[in-house]
Amino acid sequence: MKDLLIRTLKHEEVERAPWVPFAGVHAGSLKGYTATEMLTDADKAYESLMEVNRLYRPDGQPVIFDLQIEAECLGCGLVWADDCPPSVSTHPLDGSDEEPAEVPGDDAIPKKTDGRIPYVLDVMKKMKDSVGDTTALYGLICGPFTLASHLRGNNLFTDMYDFEDEVADLFDFTKRVCMQMADYYIEAGMDVIAFVDPLISQISTEHFEQYMSGPYTELMDYVRRRGAFSSFFVCGDATRNVEVMCQTHPDSISIDENVDLKAAYDICQKYNVAIGGNIPLTSVMLLGNQQDNMKCAVDMLDSMPVKKNYILAPGCDMPYATPVENVIGIAQAAQETDAVREMVKNYQAAEVDTSGVVLPEYDKLTKPLVEVFTLDSAQCAACGYMMSAAYAAKDTFGDAIDMVEYKYIYKENVARCVKMGVPNLPSLYINGKLKYKSIIPTKAELDQAIREAIEECKARG
Amino acid sequence: MSEILEEISSLLQKGRAPKVKAAVQQALDQGIPASTILQDGLLAGMDVVGAKFKNNEVFVPEVLVAARAMNKGVEVLRPYLVSDGVEEKGVAVIGTVKGDMHDIGKNLVRMMLEGKGLRVIDLGVDVAPETFVDAARENGAQLVCCSALLTTTMPEMKNVVDAVNASELKGRVKIMVGGAPITQEYADEIGADCYTPDAATAAEAALHLCEQMSA
Repeated sequence: MKDLLIRTLKHEEVERAPWVPFAGVHAGSLKGYTATEMLTDADKAYESLMEVNRLYRPDGQPVIFDLQIEAECLGCGLVWADDCPPSVSTHPLDGSDEEPAEVPGDDAIPKKTDGRIPYVLDVMKKMKDSVGDTTALYGLICGPFTLASHLRGNNLFTDMYDFEDEVADLFDFTKRVCMQMADYYIEAGMDVIAFVDPLISQISTEHFEQYMSGPYTELMDYVRRRGAFSSFFVCGDATRNVEVMCQTHPDSISIDENVDLKAAYDICQKYNVAIGGNIPLTSVMLLGNQQDNMKCAVDMLDSMPVKKNYILAPGCDMPYATPVENVIGIAQAAQETDAVREMVKNYQAAEVDTSGVVLPEYDKLTKPLVEVFTLDSAQCAACGYMMSAAYAAKDTFGDAIDMVEYKYIYKENVARCVKMGVPNLPSLYINGKLKYKSIIPTKAELDQAIREAIEECKARG
Repeated sequence: MSEILEEISSLLQKGRAPKVKAAVQQALDQGIPASTILQDGLLAGMDVVGAKFKNNEVFVPEVLVAARAMNKGVEVLRPYLVSDGVEEKGVAVIGTVKGDMHDIGKNLVRMMLEGKGLRVIDLGVDVAPETFVDAARENGAQLVCCSALLTTTMPEMKNVVDAVNASELKGRVKIMVGGAPITQEYADEIGADCYTPDAATAAEAALHLCEQMSA
């Protein structure tokens, strides 16, 4: 629900924390597209982001997560990859650390027609038209510090000591780039403008105050004047800088797992700033299982003293290969926290007693048995789609097949899942064999699989 | 410790490169041996910076300017160190793995290693496994240090481990890994010899490994 996120950004108490999956290149993985395809082809990006919207039912959603868009327009060389966003490989303002960088003039500020900006705006328009009424959309902009480092390279860090005035001028330029990008994205209908500045975690509070407090305060004020909400994303251990970030008056900040969520939340409360985060990207989302993800999300939600000023979100851009079922589990935890808390409890019970579970004699079935294991198809979007696929097959094949749903919310079904070895939910089995997990089959695929199962049953006689 | 050595350490910690250079010359003029200036002035100063970095008291820019100041001091000392026959404490090759262009963390580790008196061969970014092996062989390195920032490039570290193990260097060099997504579990899984969570600890571990290997 978009409204839930908007009310959170207005610092109102809400019925549940909004959920914003940071699906950048991961979105492409849902439709089989590479990161490069996702970040260059508007139709593929739109199709992928719509799949994110369909499967994960977000309250808010970033449109394009690529911190190199502005840098590319300003002359940085990029190296592309199949499974992560491009990296900056050359810096146009690089050079000797004994000379300050020559700050570009305002005519260098990217125009709407430069680089991949037309692609970004195209995707934004399509997403706005399709889901803009129900999902708050985020326009992401590379923040002024990280953008300056893209332009200048690592000399930026020593410039902060050697050329204080010149480096301040460079930050002022990157701030103006950010403002221009914010204009484009607000015009394209973005509800939230997020400045993503991972390198803020690498500087001291004193340097933040010297160089960043001014530009960021201007940026946040500007976005507010333009009628949008603002967010300040940081990666890494930025604990010491959370307070000074809040002092620039963003509507929200977003942190990753290197920052203690509760401690940061308390600081944000002091300034009445919403905070988003910080589901661990690698250890939980990429490498954990569905139960780990549900537990992590429930624990985070339960750690909040009040239902206010908190957005459930990954720590940063989700890894490309994040398993779909893990994100589905988090989405479910966000939307049905009480039910998922019980599921996690059932799963965690020291030993699940499977003695009462009687499995069918699959190799003696006279007609195919379609078993769908779901978190709860009434609540979980992906589970609902998996059940819809099964119902459609039932409509097609009628009495020629049997079909049953097992919802994980019931303890006896947890035992059945354990006994069957069901890896994640939703999963669809035919005659005791795992056919589809997390990814919903097309009608043609499922019908074909069932036809083959009918033949197998017939062959058994 | 003499006053001038303390001053060198203090100036280095503040990143005052020209003043460090002048103070090192002054110390030489006072007849202090180059190896003492290096150990008790420059490296002592970098030790303080490393400890502060580990404790989140200083950050990337502070380490970079301190390391730059150290290098200026070492430039003045180098001819004297050579004539004094001062031995390096170890040799490491370092690089960011193939497909990964991020070098801030790798540069910090390089500087911290140098701050411990190790000779470091920096292979840059996007380094292929065989390049690590070739460089280690050519330079007689005891350590191969690999950095990665991305979850998608960290599997390249396993390829470096495999390349080293497939060469005659197996058992003769130790492999260190680090970077934001790396954990001790991951290092164990791929068969790396050492993982540390930050650059300062990496330097301590590197020195320790080199001492062990030369013992």
